[in-house]
Amino acid sequence: EISAPWTFHNLQELRHSASLANKVFLQRDYSDGTTCRFQTKFPSELESRIERPLFEDTVKRLNIYYAEAEKMGGQSYLEGCLACATAYLIFLCMETRYEKVLKKIGRYIQEQNEKIYAPRGLLITDPIERGMRVIEISIYEDRGSSGSCSGSSSTSGSSAR
Amino acid sequence: MSGGAVIYNNRVLEHWTETTCSCLSGFLFLRGIMGKEACLRYTSSTSLPPPLSLPLMPGFSSGGLGGEVGGPAASPPCPFRPSRFVPVSAATTFLVGSTTLFFCFTCPWLSEHVSSVIPIYNAVVFLFTLANFCMATFMDPGVFPRAEEDEDKEDDFRAPLYKTVEVKGIQVRMKWCSSCRFYRPPRCSHCSVCDNCVEDFDHHCPWVNNCIGRRNYRHFFLFLLSLTIHIMGVFGFGLLYILQHQHQLDSVHSSVTMATMCTAGLFFIPVAGLTGFHMVLVARGRTTNEQVTGKFRGGVNPFTNGCLRNVSHVLCSSQAPRYVGRWRGKQTVEVHPPFLRPPLSEAQLEAKVLDNGIQNDHHSSRSKSSLEQMESQSADAEPPPPPKPEVRYPGLPRADTEESSLLSEGPSTPSMYKYRPAYSSPQRNHTALTHPNKMIRGDSLDSPSILQSSRQASYRSEPSSLDGGSVIGLAARGGERGEGPGGSSGTGGEVAGGISGYSLGGRSYTSYPSSLVLSTGGSHSSSMRSAHTHHNTLGTLQSEGTTDTSYKSLANQTPQNGSLSYDSLLTPSESPEFESAAHELSPQKPHAPAAFPPAMTSSPPPGVRDVPLQGYTSPFLSAQMAQQREGQLLQGSASFSSPNRAYLRAFSPPSPNPPHAAHPETQHHLLHQDSRHPHLRATSSIRPLPPVSEQPSPSSPHACSPDPPVSPPLRGPSLRKSPSYTGEAGLQHKARPMGGGSLSGEGGVRVTQAPQSTSRPGLANHSTSKPVGGVKKVTGVGGTTYEISV
Repeated sequence: EISAPWTFHNLQELRHSASLANKVFLQRDYSDGTTCRFQTKFPSELESRIERPLFEDTVKRLNIYYAEAEKMGGQSYLEGCLACATAYLIFLCMETRYEKVLKKIGRYIQEQNEKIYAPRGLLITDPIERGMRVIEISIYEDRGSSGSCSGSSSTSGSSAR
Repeated sequence: MSGGAVIYNNRVLEHWTETTCSCLSGFLFLRGIMGKEACLRYTSSTSLPPPLSLPLMPGFSSGGLGGEVGGPAASPPCPFRPSRFVPVSAATTFLVGSTTLFFCFTCPWLSEHVSSVIPIYNAVVFLFTLANFCMATFMDPGVFPRAEEDEDKEDDFRAPLYKTVEVKGIQVRMKWCSSCRFYRPPRCSHCSVCDNCVEDFDHHCPWVNNCIGRRNYRHFFLFLLSLTIHIMGVFGFGLLYILQHQHQLDSVHSSVTMATMCTAGLFFIPVAGLTGFHMVLVARGRTTNEQVTGKFRGGVNPFTNGCLRNVSHVLCSSQAPRYVGRWRGKQTVEVHPPFLRPPLSEAQLEAKVLDNGIQNDHHSSRSKSSLEQMESQSADAEPPPPPKPEVRYPGLPRADTEESSLLSEGPSTPSMYKYRPAYSSPQRNHTALTHPNKMIRGDSLDSPSILQSSRQASYRSEPSSLDGGSVIGLAARGGERGEGPGGSSGTGGEVAGGISGYSLGGRSYTSYPSSLVLSTGGSHSSSMRSAHTHHNTLGTLQSEGTTDTSYKSLANQTPQNGSLSYDSLLTPSESPEFESAAHELSPQKPHAPAAFPPAMTSSPPPGVRDVPLQGYTSPFLSAQMAQQREGQLLQGSASFSSPNRAYLRAFSPPSPNPPHAAHPETQHHLLHQDSRHPHLRATSSIRPLPPVSEQPSPSSPHACSPDPPVSPPLRGPSLRKSPSYTGEAGLQHKARPMGGGSLSGEGGVRVTQAPQSTSRPGLANHSTSKPVGGVKKVTGVGGTTYEISV
């Protein structure tokens, strides 16, 4: 059975033998202002779950994508001009540059989850769902092998203590 | 949540029918811009209330019309307040009405006798103005969705009120938002009118009845520009008409033209003034909030990239995405065992051995305040038993409590749940701290991380003031949390009457023992959270460098960073004190640094004293640290043992504030703290401490009222802006609980500020006069101080 019903809205479908054990939140790196960057610091909780280079690769790549989204270049300028010229009606049919990159990021995260993180019992949540404040990484435990069933999440609190 | 969505739709429809005609054009834009998202199905988070936010106009900021809305919600349902629509209706009426009259009565003659381009030009300008007006009105300003419960587990009560992050070398503090349950990113502010945290919050504009934030600032700015041009055009062409019809001034056309000119002339002055004000803001890269609260009065704005870049950022950057009401695709990634595990390195194995040894030493449960644990361990003078040679990580956390289960899992250090890393340059400590953190379990777990951080940070930082501040901050957080639900409207006011302003090193913190107690009582696991926070904050001291930066600043002067101070306060073996204590007790540390090779690799920041603390520390040491913390917290209470006292004495001189704040009562309280009840602990920390250097009162009037450049019509509405707008003046600790009280008027704000202002000037001198080594302190008039790393 599923231990944490609220996780349905999130990325994963849980099999009955994996339960959400913990969540790690990677915070934003504001050292360069309010541009979107995430800290590449390797959290200790993931020490035993994933190799550091893989993790750092993922975060660095995400940072690159976000920088690309926020880049002020010719494309964003043209987009702004076009929007002004059409009284912003262009947004009815066109997707902004940022949204395009966000879709790319979503696909990338999905791919990373499938290839790297899910096999290790981890899941990355798209930071856009958290207002781009944190990257949430859910850590799953093999319920079958764990002695004590840890409470998966406080909201569900359904795990046996 | 489908039921909620249905209810949402029904209520939206109700409000829709009640709105004025000004919404009509906005709807087109609304559906156009939000249609794609609004009309898609969302999944909703069951843990959040129905995402119905505000009626119609601002309501769009949190959801879409005509679709099921779910997922991260913005603010809970608000009562329909018609008075909020008066300014925007008036603005719309004047704009549309005057322009229509102009087109009908003035333009025909002009197009005939002057040029046919005139109506076209005016039509273009008018459409541009209207488009930007509607975008500014209906566009989501950049509302942050509420943080979900699992994100803020530890950020309650015991977690610090402020976290500091270094932005381009300048310390910026992030405040905990009790409504939204996260630490507000830099430049984010909570709007009490909309009850949302808004990214790059500028102000809440009553004329568009919406917050102006990151997403719609460009539209607002262009609206102002185009409106100014439009007014000038209408006035100018109207004048031309009148001059040519001087003999026909009694005709209908002339009178209407004159009326239009009067309206235009009347609005020109405030609009042009506001436009000029915002042009200056854009050029300087500031928000209205920052300008009015005087954040960068010292002249150092970390968010500016130069005039040209600032302007291009406002005008040319891509439209930022909305966070609320996004369409969530179904994710199909499945997670099921068996899970791959990375191979363990030698160091990790060694760490695990140590870890297990420590883990077996003492308390496994964090259900009580960690201080309690510390207390029990302090009596244990024997060295810990040798670590068991267990290589494998123990199983999942003992689940005595929800928090502990999430917190102290087998393989990991105190979970990041409990710890909010202070955001600073990430490269600083992180490798240094990961291993030590990993190895530490329980109280001693904190030590290596602390060692690491202390290695980086100057141990000359002010532990006492720090502690006091952090405790206060915690209490503040608790108080804020208590008043959070009602706080946005400001009606809740203070949670408890005993709130007195206590500012630490220029930072404003509220001390609210009573509020903390109340909120502690109300919280179901506050004690646990505090316990968790203690260790977690320590464990997670692998923070990016905020540790070093804030400690650095602390070392040099009165602590500016509430977050760090809070962190250190809460965690028994926080770095500065720990560092010195570790010095004293270094012989006791049996383990060589070999286990922490990566930890030592990170180079401490310049200007920071290098303390060779490392390795495993005994629980006894940690317990002592905890005691030291307590002492620090209470400003050098006499109840501490001699080594602690010596440590305390060694630390007290650098800061003028902590001795300032020392209370005999606090010491008395400390004596009673042996029971280590979280309650008592809170109470002791709650002792009203005299306000530490807060910005002098001259800043308060400024904080109350908007800048002179702001046109008079906006003076009134500006006061209605969110608490952070006026409260950022460093009087937040007072203004915040007052919330709406401060919004009631300038007088109200002044009243709240009065008690603090008296004690501040004297203390402010201390903070400002402190010499800074390696960090330049810049004080804003608004009460916020920033350190610039030199």
